[in-house]
Amino acid sequence: MDENSSARLKRRLLGIVYRIGLFLAMLTICLPGLWIVLSSLRPTVEIMAKPPVWIPQQISFDAYVAMFSGIGKGGIPVIEYFRNSLIISVTSTVIAVAIGMAGGYAFARYRFRGKSGVFLGLMLTRTVPGIALSLPLFFLYVRLGIIDTHFGLILAYVALNVPFTIWLIDGFFRQVPKDLAEAAQIDGCTRWQAFWQVEFPLAGPGIASAAIFAFLTCWNEFALASQLTRSVSAKTLPVGLLDYTAEFTIDWRGMCALAVVMIIPALTLTYIVQKHLVGGLTSGAVKG
Amino acid sequence: MKGLKPSAPFLLLLPAIIVLAAVVVVPLILSLYSSFTPFRLTKPETFFVFVGFRNYVAILSNTDFWWAFGRTVLLLTIALNLEMLLGLGLAMLVEKATRGQRLLRTLMMFPMMFSPILVGFQFKFMFNDNIGLVNNALQSLGISQDAIPWLIESHLAFIAISIAEIWSSTAIFAILILAGLLAMPKEPIEAARVDGCTPWQTFRYVTWPFVMPFAYIAMTIRSLDVARAYDIVKIMTDGGPAGRTELLWTLVARTAYSDGRMGAANAMAYFSILLSIAFTVYFFNKLAAARTQIGAEW
Repeated sequence: MDENSSARLKRRLLGIVYRIGLFLAMLTICLPGLWIVLSSLRPTVEIMAKPPVWIPQQISFDAYVAMFSGIGKGGIPVIEYFRNSLIISVTSTVIAVAIGMAGGYAFARYRFRGKSGVFLGLMLTRTVPGIALSLPLFFLYVRLGIIDTHFGLILAYVALNVPFTIWLIDGFFRQVPKDLAEAAQIDGCTRWQAFWQVEFPLAGPGIASAAIFAFLTCWNEFALASQLTRSVSAKTLPVGLLDYTAEFTIDWRGMCALAVVMIIPALTLTYIVQKHLVGGLTSGAVKG
Repeated sequence: MKGLKPSAPFLLLLPAIIVLAAVVVVPLILSLYSSFTPFRLTKPETFFVFVGFRNYVAILSNTDFWWAFGRTVLLLTIALNLEMLLGLGLAMLVEKATRGQRLLRTLMMFPMMFSPILVGFQFKFMFNDNIGLVNNALQSLGISQDAIPWLIESHLAFIAISIAEIWSSTAIFAILILAGLLAMPKEPIEAARVDGCTPWQTFRYVTWPFVMPFAYIAMTIRSLDVARAYDIVKIMTDGGPAGRTELLWTLVARTAYSDGRMGAANAMAYFSILLSIAFTVYFFNKLAAARTQIGAEW
């Protein structure tokens, strides 16, 4: 009896400790983001207050209004930045996924000499730090006259994304059984038809998540964008964030508001693809 | 397609190879060349002066460079190890949850959605000595009376940067290790328990070997973009105070764009590239080894 109740007590205590641990972990993960959202909604006086004001006394959307009201009224050209980010990210994602599909299919379905070597080689191009790559690209782009253009950044982002999309899409094609395409070919499809009508629809969700992942990489990229763009005509949102910093002062509230604008699309997209993303990265980890 | 069948994979890979050659390989060859010249942006004619290994000699005898190099390796070592441990812990916490696991998983991925530049800014805000969340909390709780100069004192700044880096990347480890835990068959664990293993033994000899390849996948993915730390440091301290948090990448950027010494910057950049490649190749091999091991056992 005594043993029973002490075991029960121990289990209950462990359960409580577990809950507290989980709660603290989740708090650490979420708090910084929530703090940003909160700070964007409160007046600057409250952010600067000493002693600190923990519970907002008033909620205002002034920061967002100021941000969108254009240059000179405390705003930055956020609409232009948003447009640039969108054009550059979408275009380079589409191209990178098209190239990645071809490459991923080759790795998933064909055997050829030096396969793992080629794969590693492709991955290694991705490891080049953005800032190191930006030096020669900067020089070349100035010479070619494509510095500070959408085209220049799109080109760079396609190259940035191709290795990773190949990895992901390779994983998704591997999950589609080979027999299906072979059966379709026996039934009279060409290889091309078998691909588009059988394998592509099955790998579709995975490819979509590879696309979203590529999109997010472009959307969030800073090291290259900060060197290869310089004016409103091509600057992206991450670079635009720096507009809120002056030599010695930072408009915290404005930055928080822009941060929220940047996070919302990323948040939505990541939520949509989370399941497939993990599946793609780990496929083959178990089966070898 | 019929006549070209043997070279089909080559054709399929051709676009990828062309793009990567044009945007990555050729520029890198160019930068390799220019690392042997005293090239300055303001003096284009210096591009054609060949000075041999002078840039490399100058860099290797520069203590600032070695400090930045050492600091970069230290940051990566600390960050990657802690991310791995915390990711493992987080994954096991979430795996144990009986209800709301999907919600927890989504919350866990939250930091992955933040652009590194946002992470940097967000932690700069939180670690601000005057109005930051951290100092405000410490003062309100009565733990500290003074404003702790998080980003101004060099050791504290390094800690703050590490925290930002770890916060942003633990999610990748957690999510992949969780995928491994969820994919794991339950029988071996039960068998181990029946055979009288302690929970620690079960974890060490049954769970961990199975989860390891997933951890290596996470490591490989992380090692692909370790240089993201540049964005974080650039925003949080920009290498300051007085160069005490300067990493290899911020040093490259400063030498190239502020000082305009492209030749020297390219020579440094090559060190950073080799560092990244070394990391990636190392984990890639580990990953391949772990995969074959698991393939044999299960």
